[in-house]
Amino acid sequence: MLNYVWIGLVLIGVLAAAGSDIYDASTNRYRNGEPFELQYETGPGNGGKVLCTKKYFDTFYGVSIKSADTLTFPATLVGSSVNITTDESSPQLWKTVARTDDNSKQITAKVLSRKGDRVTILLPATSLVKTKAVLDAVISYSEMAVKIALGLIGVMAFWLGIMKLAEDSGMIKIIARIMKPIMVRVFPDIPPDHPAIGAMIMNMSANMLGLNNAATPLGLKAMDELESLNPHKGTASNAMVTFLAINTAGLTLIPATAIAIRAALGSKDPTIILMTSFFGAGLATIAGIIAAKALQRLKIYRIKEEPSGDSPASGDTK
Amino acid sequence: MIKTVLEAFSIVAIPLIIAAFIAYAARKKVPVYESFVAGAKGGFEIAIKIIPYLVAMLVAIGIFRASGAMELLVKGLSPIAHAIGMPPEVLPLALLRPLSGSGSLGLMADIMKKYGPDSFIGILASTMYGSSETTFYVLAVYFGAVNIYRTRHAVAAGLIADAVGMLGALLICRLLFG
Repeated sequence: MLNYVWIGLVLIGVLAAAGSDIYDASTNRYRNGEPFELQYETGPGNGGKVLCTKKYFDTFYGVSIKSADTLTFPATLVGSSVNITTDESSPQLWKTVARTDDNSKQITAKVLSRKGDRVTILLPATSLVKTKAVLDAVISYSEMAVKIALGLIGVMAFWLGIMKLAEDSGMIKIIARIMKPIMVRVFPDIPPDHPAIGAMIMNMSANMLGLNNAATPLGLKAMDELESLNPHKGTASNAMVTFLAINTAGLTLIPATAIAIRAALGSKDPTIILMTSFFGAGLATIAGIIAAKALQRLKIYRIKEEPSGDSPASGDTK
Repeated sequence: MIKTVLEAFSIVAIPLIIAAFIAYAARKKVPVYESFVAGAKGGFEIAIKIIPYLVAMLVAIGIFRASGAMELLVKGLSPIAHAIGMPPEVLPLALLRPLSGSGSLGLMADIMKKYGPDSFIGILASTMYGSSETTFYVLAVYFGAVNIYRTRHAVAAGLIADAVGMLGALLICRLLFG
């Protein structure tokens, strides 16, 4: 099924980008080639600013932006061009023009004529906005994926070391024994004293305590143990899917990130969501376990016996 | 009170666990240093193993997000959101939560900035964020680490958990703060 999700995300993305760009081009949304009039004011030093009324901007683009009656941008006149700087509060249209032009917050526009403080400029032609954004995303997200993976090496090594210690000393087995009554019900395919149980408990405890740094390495260790029990290499086992359903529900006692952001934004009671998100994630966990157990019986998700040694190219189990 | 205890516990938990594990191993006469190093060796290998899976997943999500398809999806689904009593402001968050951790974090912060963290929408947004995990990231990383590409019902089960988490967040927030 991951196959279909992947194809879906990519194809819908590319088609939506192309559609949106074609629509923009057909309506000339960015008014390419049309002169724009501004008032220029020299400021102290090198910089100055350009002004136009909201009404003029709205009429020019055929939109209705949310802003004050006068739009002001820091700008400098350089020879026959003007550099206009946009910021967070600038109209979206100009932010897009700036980004698509040269991936910065600055628009370099050509000055067509200047009479006193009235300047007529030609903004850089803007087209294929979404397609360019998709291209940028491909590169930046690939780099991000590698950064995330490499960033894991340190904590990963540390927790795998600790887990090896716990395994060699028999600590993992003790932990597994304590939770045995629950674990045999949720993971009936896994022998109750197998290291996989201990690793899964460690992962879930780390998640509960909000220790994300520890949870991922411990979870991957658990997956490694589950894989050692998996007779069908390359295919997820029932236990793996149940374990992941629990993980994707993200049950935690302290949703630390959300609380930190609430506090940073001046909430009177940042921890008010402790109870509510525990309720939400608790329901999600139960639903995830039930869904995993119910779906594993469905014919389309049943494991097909396949000759061993097949390659990833042989496709998904349908 | 409970909150302070929990917070303090989450800070001391890791040093305590580490100390307890090492002390217990030493008592059981395990060569601790050797054993730790032998285990830690696997860290690099696993991190490298997940790269192709993570690149595939994140690039697809990146394309989807950059294309503006999300806005179309939000428009299409807003009648359903309206029917179940979900404020339209948090619908993008509910849709983005399983796809992107950093994206949904930014979106949650934006929503709270706009409507205030203590407004109904602000509380709902942060509850929704806390009620779920980034499903597709978890799937890519966890399955990638053991080279599993036939994921069977994992996506369906994960998304069902997400949907229930979002609806549960909506339900409890409506009951308590709506």
